[in-house]
Amino acid sequence: MINTIILSYVTFGYFGAFILYLLMMVMGRATFGRLASLLSVVGLGAQSLAIILRWVESYQLGIGHAPFSNLYESLIFFSWTITLLYLIVEWRTKNRTLGVFVMPLAFLAMAYASFSPNIASRIQPLIPALKSNWLITHVITCFFAYAAFGISFGLSLMYFLKLVDNEKRNNTFLKLIPRKGILDDLNYQMVAIGFLMLTLGIITGSVWAYSAWGRYWGWDPKETWSLITWFIYAAVLHSRMVRGWTGKKIAIMSIIGFFCVLITYFGVNYLAGLHSYATT
Amino acid sequence: MAKSTSKTKSNSVWRFFSSVKLTIVLLIILAITSILGTIIPQMPQRESVEFARGLSPGMFKLFSFINLFDMYHSLWFRLIIGCLALNLIICSIDRFPATLKQFRFRPGADRNKPFQDLPLNQTFFVEGNVEDTANQVARFIKGRYKKIKRKHAGDRYYFLSEKGKYSRFGVYLVHLSVLIIVIGGLIGSFFGFDGYINIVEGEQIDAIKLRKQTTPLKLGFEVRCDKFTVDFYENGAPREYRSELSFFVNGKEVEKENLLVNHPIKFRGITFYQSSYGKTPGNKVRLKIVRHANEHESIGMEAEQGNSFPLPGKEGQFQVLKVDANLRGMMGPAALISIHAEQGDETRFWIFQNWETLQNRFPKQMLQSPMLNSSAFKPYTFYLEGLESKFYTGLQVNRDPGVSLVWIGSFLMIGGFFVTFFMSHRRIWVRVSNAKRGSTISIAGTSNKDPVGLERELAHLSINLNGYLNKRK
Repeated sequence: MINTIILSYVTFGYFGAFILYLLMMVMGRATFGRLASLLSVVGLGAQSLAIILRWVESYQLGIGHAPFSNLYESLIFFSWTITLLYLIVEWRTKNRTLGVFVMPLAFLAMAYASFSPNIASRIQPLIPALKSNWLITHVITCFFAYAAFGISFGLSLMYFLKLVDNEKRNNTFLKLIPRKGILDDLNYQMVAIGFLMLTLGIITGSVWAYSAWGRYWGWDPKETWSLITWFIYAAVLHSRMVRGWTGKKIAIMSIIGFFCVLITYFGVNYLAGLHSYATT
Repeated sequence: MAKSTSKTKSNSVWRFFSSVKLTIVLLIILAITSILGTIIPQMPQRESVEFARGLSPGMFKLFSFINLFDMYHSLWFRLIIGCLALNLIICSIDRFPATLKQFRFRPGADRNKPFQDLPLNQTFFVEGNVEDTANQVARFIKGRYKKIKRKHAGDRYYFLSEKGKYSRFGVYLVHLSVLIIVIGGLIGSFFGFDGYINIVEGEQIDAIKLRKQTTPLKLGFEVRCDKFTVDFYENGAPREYRSELSFFVNGKEVEKENLLVNHPIKFRGITFYQSSYGKTPGNKVRLKIVRHANEHESIGMEAEQGNSFPLPGKEGQFQVLKVDANLRGMMGPAALISIHAEQGDETRFWIFQNWETLQNRFPKQMLQSPMLNSSAFKPYTFYLEGLESKFYTGLQVNRDPGVSLVWIGSFLMIGGFFVTFFMSHRRIWVRVSNAKRGSTISIAGTSNKDPVGLERELAHLSINLNGYLNKRK
């Protein structure tokens, strides 16, 4: 199982990237930032390779399926989407400060997948309910939504740190964080992308549920939590687009929204329901 | 969305429902109340009953009064959704006229207001005749924008192009899609049904059980399960469930299909889903009959329930009257044997597959009842070796006439999001004005949202237009 070995190196790679981003912020040296980006890109490449290898390996085992079928695989994929999305944002905005706040999420997801004793890294065969063409679209859309909301969470934290920044303090870390207007604008973009993806994820999920269980909506705890998340971000978008709220209020709502995402993602471990195959 | 225009409709109910503050409040109320149903197990789950048993009588009364055991179908929850729907309709009606006005508004091309306070990079100088330059500008812009208005006033040439005009309606599309989905859901709950049925292999049914009613529902046709198979992976996890179904109308077979998980079958507007399976005793049992407690005189045989068989020594006939997979829910597989001697009475007794374990589990006196004596008819002893079991397939059976509306609504919603989030209504002005030995070109624009995107577009246009004009000189 070469893929799990690569993935455990990637875990350390993402941790290293986080430390380098942190050093860049604390010491104010751009070299660390460039190294951090390089390490993240290499990590993402290795992770992509490992995911493909895992996919191929499942076919060699005769139980071929996309590697999105259990908690281990979903955590790996979550980490992959968040790193990918972050690197796109970094490249578009030419700013690396967000890395300090986002790479820990990518690292923690990987570490949880690799080191938690309760999570099996074996490739398991698909149970009949998961054998569907909707598996890939449903998982990809949901996880891009989670990743966009994760980045929005990071931006909101940055917003609060930037609030305490002032001339007198003269703190390199705080000074390097972009100004509030930019953070707020980027946060809005991430929420919009996440909301679109979440909606797509819920829709693909209901189409799938309709063909597997005969109903498109059943108030299963995971479904309900995804809807709660949707309500929260719908409120964020309305307060921003129509009421013109910005800044602190939006940042607070985005943080609450991301907690809802976490419950949607991990809450099934504690709530009974039909998505329970995602727990081991 | 455009600003409210509720001057004429000053009625207070209207004003209440046309507020976006209400939308935000309702969304947050829905989010918070929805949490309850994910903590309290909802009917018809089995956990729901267990949870209710753990409550104090007062709490139980309160919980059932506000329908917390089935909260998503309760009146109050539906009322909140209803309020949100009303809010959404009234907000949209309230703001639509203003949007339409902005959509229809045609500003003149020769406006100078947009050009006030332009950033430096959006104004540049080009050598040469103004008219020639203006023509070149026209050619360049035509390649990039579709609709262009031109105007010539004094020694100034103006160009106005517009795009994304229709994006102003994106938000209405999203709201419409929400309504369509809600209507689809309502149609499903009023005119659809949600049922289930178990069919034993080889048997056929003509009615199903409904989850919300006690009376079964006649289908108007028959369904037979010809065969059920379940496949396993090497690790024991199930690989595939497959029901081979035949559909009969007026006793005639019209269709034969294989039903798999994730591949439902639709027949006459009713959809069948593979949802569970199980085993049920068939009507055959495997018996061992021993004569004179002598193993050499034992025979093994298969007996079908209801048929009579002669005893090995011709002392009479016996038959299997009943078969039970788990007698009294704890005694395991059992069969009721009835023996008719050539002369004399009938002898009846139960035989058990797990006789040895039963002897250890139950007191001796209890097992000495003649009904449990497998040697009651001398000189025979009957042993139950096993029951033939049959699969039954568990089907979910539904009809939902609202589902296509839900899919249409979903589709529109995604389209609406693309328009609302990623498109904006932009107007771009280019002004060519006469200057000393050449002309000055200025570029300006307005947008209903995404100011950063507009800035980027204007900067891009300036650089390209500048490059285009100055290269040709």
